[in-house]
Amino acid sequence: METAAAEGAARAGVRFVLNGSPVDVWAAPHETLLAVLRDTLGATEVKYGCGEGVCGTCTVLLDGAPINACLLLAVQAAGRAVTTVKGLGAEGHLHPLQRAFVAHEAAQCGFCTPGMLLVAHAFLADHPRPTRDEIRSAIAGNLCRCTGYTRIVDAIEACAGTGKAARVEPR
Amino acid sequence: MYPSPFAYHAPVTMGETLALLARLPEAKILAGGQSLLPLMNLGLAQPGALVDVNGLPGLETVTEDGGGLRLGALVRHRTLETSPLIRRRCPALAEAASLIGNIRVRHRGTLGGSLAHADPAAELPLVAVALGATLEISRLAGAREVSAAEFFRGYLLTDLAPGELVTGVRIPAIAPGTGYGLAELVRRAGDFAIVAACAVITTDGAGVCRQASLAIGGVGPHPLVMRRAEGLLTGGPLTDRRLAEAADAVPGEVAPESDVHATAAYRRAMARVMAYRALAQARARAASGPGRPA
Amino acid sequence: MARRTPDEHPDPFRIVGRPLPRFDVADKVQGTTLYAADWRLPGMLAGRILRAVYPSARIRRISVEHARGLPGVAAVLTADDVPQNALHEDPTGLGLSSFATPVLAADRVRYQGEPVALVAAESEVAAQAALEAIEVEYEPLPGVFDAGAALAPDAPRVHPDRVNLLIHWKLRQGDVEAGFRRSDAVVERTYRTQRVDHAALEPEAAVAWVDGDGVVTIRAATQVIEHFREIAEILRLPHNKVRVMAPFLGGGFGGKEDMTVEPYVALLAWKTRRPVRMLWTRQESLLARPKRHPFTMSYKTGATRDGRLVAQEISLLADAGPYPLLSPRVVFAALVVGCGPYRVPNVKIDARAVFTNNVPTSAMRGFGAMQVTFAYESQMDLLAEQLGMSALEIRSRNFLQKGDRLPTGEALETEAALPHITARAVDALGERSRPSAPSGRVGRGIACNMQPYGRTVWFRDRAQAWIGFEADGALVIRAGITDLGGGQAASLAQLAAEVLGVSPDRIAVHIGDSALTPLAGGTFATRQLYMSGNAVVKAAGELRAMMIPVAASLLEAAEPDVQFADNHAGVIGAPERTIALARVVAECARRGIPTSLLSGFQGEHAAPIDLETGQGRTFPDYTFGCHAVEVEVDAETGTVRVLKLAACHDVGRAINPQSVEGQIQGGAVMGAGQALMEEVAVEAGINLTTLFAGYLIPTAMDMPDVRALVVESGEGKGPFSARGIGEPPTGPPPAAVAAAIQDAVGVRLMELPMTPERVFDAVRARPARPKNEARGKV
Repeated sequence: METAAAEGAARAGVRFVLNGSPVDVWAAPHETLLAVLRDTLGATEVKYGCGEGVCGTCTVLLDGAPINACLLLAVQAAGRAVTTVKGLGAEGHLHPLQRAFVAHEAAQCGFCTPGMLLVAHAFLADHPRPTRDEIRSAIAGNLCRCTGYTRIVDAIEACAGTGKAARVEPR
Repeated sequence: MYPSPFAYHAPVTMGETLALLARLPEAKILAGGQSLLPLMNLGLAQPGALVDVNGLPGLETVTEDGGGLRLGALVRHRTLETSPLIRRRCPALAEAASLIGNIRVRHRGTLGGSLAHADPAAELPLVAVALGATLEISRLAGAREVSAAEFFRGYLLTDLAPGELVTGVRIPAIAPGTGYGLAELVRRAGDFAIVAACAVITTDGAGVCRQASLAIGGVGPHPLVMRRAEGLLTGGPLTDRRLAEAADAVPGEVAPESDVHATAAYRRAMARVMAYRALAQARARAASGPGRPA
Repeated sequence: MARRTPDEHPDPFRIVGRPLPRFDVADKVQGTTLYAADWRLPGMLAGRILRAVYPSARIRRISVEHARGLPGVAAVLTADDVPQNALHEDPTGLGLSSFATPVLAADRVRYQGEPVALVAAESEVAAQAALEAIEVEYEPLPGVFDAGAALAPDAPRVHPDRVNLLIHWKLRQGDVEAGFRRSDAVVERTYRTQRVDHAALEPEAAVAWVDGDGVVTIRAATQVIEHFREIAEILRLPHNKVRVMAPFLGGGFGGKEDMTVEPYVALLAWKTRRPVRMLWTRQESLLARPKRHPFTMSYKTGATRDGRLVAQEISLLADAGPYPLLSPRVVFAALVVGCGPYRVPNVKIDARAVFTNNVPTSAMRGFGAMQVTFAYESQMDLLAEQLGMSALEIRSRNFLQKGDRLPTGEALETEAALPHITARAVDALGERSRPSAPSGRVGRGIACNMQPYGRTVWFRDRAQAWIGFEADGALVIRAGITDLGGGQAASLAQLAAEVLGVSPDRIAVHIGDSALTPLAGGTFATRQLYMSGNAVVKAAGELRAMMIPVAASLLEAAEPDVQFADNHAGVIGAPERTIALARVVAECARRGIPTSLLSGFQGEHAAPIDLETGQGRTFPDYTFGCHAVEVEVDAETGTVRVLKLAACHDVGRAINPQSVEGQIQGGAVMGAGQALMEEVAVEAGINLTTLFAGYLIPTAMDMPDVRALVVESGEGKGPFSARGIGEPPTGPPPAAVAAAIQDAVGVRLMELPMTPERVFDAVRARPARPKNEARGKV
């Protein structure tokens, strides 16, 4: 069948930077960045949640800006820097936001968490001292079904201003 | 979740792009992709060819144009929202952009893409109509311009012919004493509005309305211009009563349909409420000082 | 020495009651948790389902030859290929009837989205192409799309061989007619709730493979690993040839309690002998995965002048969709708590679920008890209004207390603490907010609820846990629980840490593997802390009792003076006399004393209720709560914004207060979402809400901070007197918000969700009349 043939035939080499390291992949034009990250590169910390750009579980940073990995073709990432939640901290060394999420139990099932952390990270870079309402507005596009958001706002607020988690001990 | 395969073209010059579009009239244009990619992920759109215009130079620029603004078609919503020049010259556009979807959509979504997609409840088409914007359209045979009010033709339907590309948008200079208002009713933060209204009012020094523009989204196949309401306002003092009369004229000029989120009757009623709120905001901003732009 | 039972364990606790960070959250923030869809195996195929396009139709012909011949297609399966194309269910658990639900529709489809054929292919794109190449010829048939209409004698039958009435539970206590005659005020209303989707952020997914030993292994996002038995039946394999593993879930909420992807992915792996991954799209999940039941609830409630409830007559009708799933059990829970946390001497309840050709409905957080809260709490407010009392007053005159008889005739065995709970919730609202705009009207409301935790007693529920020390003094727990995100695994570690004195970071918890972890029952019915928590505490206590004598002899101390704490055995009152637990473990090994064991907890059990009267033992216990909300209603648009939400529950004892608060906050927001926004719209069997953009779960901007208030009465039946808290917080918000709307704009909504349009219409239709200030006020 044509589709399957087209699938193989049109693959192109795509080079981008993933969490600080250059990667080269073969990607067909119809493959989204989400598909390539998950299926080709094994970056399963980027989640599929809806494919509509609504839920935010596939959030990655493209040159520092949060985007929907499900709504970007992989070929469009060529030459760009892609950051997933694994690019936030180092192995065994959590980023302050990650520490705050643990301390505040801002994650329950954890499925929204990678996207939530990335959006929060990008937001805090531009808004070092946000109000709770500003934090809520910043994460409004990332859905969470477990926490009711209160703890997520707490955790982000704890990191605001100082650049690190103000409260790493739980309440 | 996995789009069907297609032929992918990523031209880097305008000439190349227009030639491709002329050769592939069925091709879909990929700008921000925030409306097209969802449809492809769901299998609702299965284009045979995609022309990715993101590599075209010069389409992301924002420049002063006389007293107004000229915006490239690839200006992202996030730029509309945050650019100091736009916030100064056309805060209505900045506010409208800030209401779109979510931060991820705003980082990728483009002005030209939103206008060309023409969702009847989208913010940018509404504001473009209310502000009297002009769209620049290119095709292989040349370029043309069309007013936003004439550009939207029906549900997801525009004046664009196959082979044509929106390349830019011009926002006219805004007269002193002008204020804007934007009111929308959403069921959830960031969602498409059930009803949205955008008003632009210019007053003279004495509080008399010299010019009024009012457009409503979500109550017809595309943003609708409320001619009767505008007529009722122009030339008179902007009293609460005049505003209410203008808003009262709105339900008679809209053509809403029912869907799972709201019935036609409710949309009609809300068109009046949103119109009043937008007008009242515009009046307050217009009065807050001459020279305050919309 | 005499063995210490957990109840005699010294208080205050060392570990229990502390807000310890959860070990699983540390993984989740780094993105290292491998959810079901994240699993990869060499040669893995993509599995997809072809779903029915009609809600009611005959399948005349399915043609799969073309699809089978496409490149990259490994298998195309239809009903003919399923070894046993039936899932045998006992819908009531009482052996009253059995039901066979098809795995794949054979000759008849009964809802839109019903699985018709399966495909496995080398890629998702190839699988999609194969789906599109399968030709199905349908003959549309009349269907039944309304629960009430389904009961009409001439209604089309969803199943030709049986009537549309799936279940009719009855509850009879006292004499309601006499009760209403004695009542000074009677309120009669009908309430409606909507179809709700669980909307866990993780869509349904699994990877299945046939392992080297021939065991069909399914690593699935499921709440219930015990489904391996049903999968084995479908494949006609011995039960011990199917294994289900459940990794950490990206949310469940009841939506992964029935099987979702498991039988389909297992069939494809079994037929192709290759690993297969199946991942449902969000749209597929919205289309066809079972929803929360829409209920129609007719309530007639009578009270005396002084506000005492005398009689309540209730009719509940639930739309079950075309197959039983858990519907009979959902409406049974609704029946038992239909009167809420109040004493009512005369009760008559009829609770029915009926077959329709709408999308199936089954378990969702709150499980029937959630829907009735909207009705019984609204009734309380309306009665208060009629009697000129406050909402607090009428409730406090009727609150259940320990020892009171429930409508089922059984006694409430634990303290309900409702006056205290309610006072705390109301107090937490603080000063009344001012409207943010001229058209804004601020109002307040409260709602109380009771939610069972644990399975119905006739299921004779049981949970097992294995616990053992490693030579280095580290501890291992094996328990066949699933962790939905609520901290189910971490709480077991915290409990074992308390009993055995091992620090939580020295405890590994292995969960969710039907082959290797002792079965614990699924994570549902708010049962896991109650059942597996008790099982772990029991196992840990037994292990401790075996090791204490050894420790005592090593320490040369009397057994009662020995304690386990901080990874050491020590002598109480003599801090210098300690030895590492590892030494005790080594000494046990030398003496041949086991340092691991399997134990189990048997839940309460009793004979089934009387089917004619509903009298008998039902649930082990209940969790009680009260929510207080403040809203602002835009009187011009009908938009309702929740300004404040205080949610108070008695959890008996908070094992991890931070996790308890998280459950309360998340549950309350889920309930508020159902109150105001969420609905899966289905018209004539066609689902109109198959996009996530159209299914409105609350964002961070739509809800306020939730004040979670935790009461610890020490009265629960879980470990250390804990009560379950997973489901209870979902119940109160709709009724509380309805009360607040009434307080704000004077109209009482009786249908969910309370959309801007419904509020607007109600306000517009409101008859002009002076506002009675005392009415229903908080």
